[in-house]
Amino acid sequence: MKAILTDITKCIGCNECVKACKVTNNLPPDKPREWQKTDGLSASNWTSVLHNGKYNLRKQCRHCVEPACVSVCPVGALHKTETGAVVYDSDKCLGCRYCMMACPYGIPRYDWDEPVPYIKKCILCYHKIKDGTISQPACTSACPTGATIYGERDELLKEARQRINAEPDKYLDTIYGEKEVGGTNVLYITAKDCPLDFLLYYNNRIEKGKELAGMPDLNEAIPITTKWAMGAVPFAFLGMGALMSGIYWVINRRNKLQSENQKENQKQEDENG
Amino acid sequence: MDRINKAKLILWTILGIAGAVAITRFIFGLGVTTNLTDNTPWGFWIGFDVMGGVALAGGGFVIAAFNYIFGKKILHPIARAAILTAFLGYVAVAIGLLFDLGLPWNIWHMIIYWNPHSPLFEVGWCVMLYLTVLTLEFTPVVLEKYPNIKLLSIIHGFLYKIRIPLVILGIMLSTLHQSSLGSLFLAMPYRLHPLWYSPIIPVIFFFSAICLGFMMVMVESMTSSYLYRKEQEIHILGKIKKYASYMLIFYLFVRFADIIIRGAGSFLFSFSWGMSLFWIEILLSCIIPLIIFSMPIKKIKISILYFGAFIGVVGVVFNRLNVGGITHLNNLTEIGSFYFPSLMEFSISAGVVSAAMLIFFYFVENFKVWEESPFDNLVINKASKFNSFKVYLGSNPIVNRTKFSFSFIFAFGLTFALISGGEIHSSGFDKSPVTKARGADTLLIDGNRDGYGVVFAHVNHQKLGYTCGYCHHINKPDDKATGCYECHDDMYLIGDAFRHDWHSSSSGANLDCFKCHNKSVSKGMNFKFSNKKATHICQNCHNKIIPLDSRIKILKTYKSLSYTDAMHSLCINCHEQKLHTDSLLKQIKPNLAQCSKCHKNFSVFKKDKKLFQGKKENKWVVVP
Amino acid sequence: MEELLNFAKGPLFRFSFAIMILGLIRLFVLSLINGLEAKKKARDKSIPKGYVRKMTFGFLFPLRAFRVKPIYAFVSILFHIGLLFTPIFLFDHALLFQNSIKISLINLSLSKQVADWMTITTIITGILLFIIRISSQTSRFISRKQDYLLPLLLLIPFISGLVCAQLTVEPDVYNAFILIHILSGCLIFILMPFTKIAHCILLPLSQWITARAWKFPSEAGENVVIDLGKEGETL
Repeated sequence: MKAILTDITKCIGCNECVKACKVTNNLPPDKPREWQKTDGLSASNWTSVLHNGKYNLRKQCRHCVEPACVSVCPVGALHKTETGAVVYDSDKCLGCRYCMMACPYGIPRYDWDEPVPYIKKCILCYHKIKDGTISQPACTSACPTGATIYGERDELLKEARQRINAEPDKYLDTIYGEKEVGGTNVLYITAKDCPLDFLLYYNNRIEKGKELAGMPDLNEAIPITTKWAMGAVPFAFLGMGALMSGIYWVINRRNKLQSENQKENQKQEDENG
Repeated sequence: MDRINKAKLILWTILGIAGAVAITRFIFGLGVTTNLTDNTPWGFWIGFDVMGGVALAGGGFVIAAFNYIFGKKILHPIARAAILTAFLGYVAVAIGLLFDLGLPWNIWHMIIYWNPHSPLFEVGWCVMLYLTVLTLEFTPVVLEKYPNIKLLSIIHGFLYKIRIPLVILGIMLSTLHQSSLGSLFLAMPYRLHPLWYSPIIPVIFFFSAICLGFMMVMVESMTSSYLYRKEQEIHILGKIKKYASYMLIFYLFVRFADIIIRGAGSFLFSFSWGMSLFWIEILLSCIIPLIIFSMPIKKIKISILYFGAFIGVVGVVFNRLNVGGITHLNNLTEIGSFYFPSLMEFSISAGVVSAAMLIFFYFVENFKVWEESPFDNLVINKASKFNSFKVYLGSNPIVNRTKFSFSFIFAFGLTFALISGGEIHSSGFDKSPVTKARGADTLLIDGNRDGYGVVFAHVNHQKLGYTCGYCHHINKPDDKATGCYECHDDMYLIGDAFRHDWHSSSSGANLDCFKCHNKSVSKGMNFKFSNKKATHICQNCHNKIIPLDSRIKILKTYKSLSYTDAMHSLCINCHEQKLHTDSLLKQIKPNLAQCSKCHKNFSVFKKDKKLFQGKKENKWVVVP
Repeated sequence: MEELLNFAKGPLFRFSFAIMILGLIRLFVLSLINGLEAKKKARDKSIPKGYVRKMTFGFLFPLRAFRVKPIYAFVSILFHIGLLFTPIFLFDHALLFQNSIKISLINLSLSKQVADWMTITTIITGILLFIIRISSQTSRFISRKQDYLLPLLLLIPFISGLVCAQLTVEPDVYNAFILIHILSGCLIFILMPFTKIAHCILLPLSQWITARAWKFPSEAGENVVIDLGKEGETL
């Protein structure tokens, strides 16, 4: 599986990746509308560079190893490809926006101002790479400093580990995307004073740091949460059917017996009378 | 008939409003007609129309179960009405969903493209199947009316025979999707407040749907008795009241047990927005109805019983809204803006509900839904006194038709008038007006004053030997260096450099129309699409509007670029051009045309504390 | 002035347009339903179809009227043609249609000279019709106040439109006349479904309903009396 590794410390915030993404994916210019989030991603901006005064951070779809959006889409319009990219099939989509609700990173965007809207997000330039027009995503090839690189996920993980080990004072000892929500195909390594926990919605939860039963673990893939409920469906269906038929049979029989008894009683009374 | 007619008049009016809004929704798209955002992709239409609607229609399967399966024959008189309510409820859900879906014409895709992992897939299938079952359950009522047509009576007989299996199938399907609506939210553990997110949320949804089913049947029975001036079905209400209270106690128990076992008990008493929503919900959905239902039926007034059942219905629907959106993370933390439905969302929902109610009245009046026809015990009150001032519109049905259709078109027209396409189009934009650049020799170009601008050495550019007109490409009359902000007046939106109203108004330039518009060709076929021929160009009057040495030689349109686009195209183009032509410059300043050359690290401004007012240190902002 | 103009152009126009379209549909459907219901009640369900068809066609193509009242028929036809086609196919209106609802009639639109002459014809024939109505005693007898007012009201947008297109120089004068033009147009739109102007849409129905009305059940009159609460009163 292919992946992207972004090194926060190397990014200079030149926005070349954003430009390249726009050109390659043929995206229209962006106008800030009131329904957009403040992170710069929108239906016409599939990657954006954020700045906090010291570091630059490139945001894009994380292409989870076990994506929540893929598991919740009722028509399977989103699917995980063999290269690791999560791609979108607009022909199947019916516009329910469940993927936007379920994404733990809040990535998919919507064409809110179109009468015929579609879901928009980074697809790792899947179609163009498959055609052979480009060998790697537009953003990584455009990066002048090598802050964001493309390659096999295992090798990139090794590379990231190597960088962290080489300069333990500089880097935070975490590879973002290695394990969280079951691992992602877009990895981040970052400087000591710049933790990236805020990217994941989990870490903005109200009950931060509190153990609640029934909450999935940070490193568990989202699809697991609905698994038991979906697994219980056939049992609930057939069980309810059996229960209802049983009750109906019992009550019906009781009523029948009662009415027969009454009849017999009446007969006896008639005979007696 | 007065009550029911007044109700119908109101419902038709709401329907008219909703009709106009519906057209707007499909022409302009979701973004401008709703308050949905990328943070809150689901809103009122999912929370109320779909989740609330399915729960409200729960009365159908609950009453069917009690009547047909558990043999509680006392409920028989209201069984048909309950099934009709459920049927219309599901139709309303389906129609409400069509408004919410981005691509509603693709809704049938669920039949051919399968993703069995998705809870929504299961909900969709169950609703489809259950709608079919409900149709089959209700068809006999319609067919009864035509006993003389043989084919119909055969179908009727067949459906009557299979009614028990149908009822059981209906209950099975209802169990599934009532609970699966809860499963939808299992996939968003980070979105819901801990008081609502629970691994057994499907079970909680199922139980609350049963509670709501009972209470909704009570409300429906009492409302229709009131509207049609029937006698209240006291003994049936008493029975349902009893079942409802047992179920509510059980639901309350499950709810609190779940919260305490999960360890979220501390949230019950830690004061917050989420906590207050929770207690309001519990108070409405369980406690008030329980108190009222615990009183013996003979002793309480019907209006109080109505109040209790109605509050209960509101409470459970409020639970669906809470799960569906209100308690979501973005509403409770600073991650996103607070979502509150727009008026258009409310009116569409109200319209769908009114349509369902009107169809309900139609069925009740024309088919044998109740054991006695609504007209049987009505005292037909004749026109009280002849009033010569009143216009005679005809007999009762004709009067109704006239009034209802008039209220519909009037409401439609009025709403249509109030919705302005132009305003809708511009409403979605965040306006960010541009102000004048600050500084003297060195300017801080920062149109919207957020502190993240570009320091521009104005004096250095002057020293390079450029005249003012080189950059200030279009000037106001009798001016040499009109500021950029005067025409490029919004950071991101296209502006208008020409002010037509000023030119024509008597307080402004006071020009007559034919001063600019060519009289001979401005009207008629010759005009066609050539705007140029129709008007004189600006330079005819303003001979110095474009400086001779300007980079821009001709005026093509009246539109002015957005501030950022204008600045970028002016600076970057020139810088790139210089870089290409001047080889010396390329050696000294190779980064001249790169973004970071001008957009430097903001820390340079940090001394200027004023600029950073309201900007938190370490906050992530988008690099422009 | 500007605000009033904007209001008239925007909300008021949309309101009156919606009322016109929906009101005409409503009127048509209601008449149809009421007619059908009358048919259900009537004992004699037959209807002189040929007669209805003949009358309707006679209404649309008044060839017979030419023989009986040639001047009136000619003036009336000219008036109706001008009334219908000038506003729809005027170039300026076509531009408005294109900008608002994206329906382009520009290729079909009239040239300036034709449009001007059609407008003038409409105004003259309208005044002629008015004179004919006043001069004939029979028509005076069956006319109500609104029957005199409506034709004159119909002429106001034409006159003001002509002034706007031809004579104005001052923006203020232009604005005043365009305001009159729009307001009177809106008033006509709103009145359309509720007055006799509705004959434009009721045309195919009216003959049918008249024919229908002769077949009302014999006790129909009594029902009216009951509904009015005038039972027992001597008629």
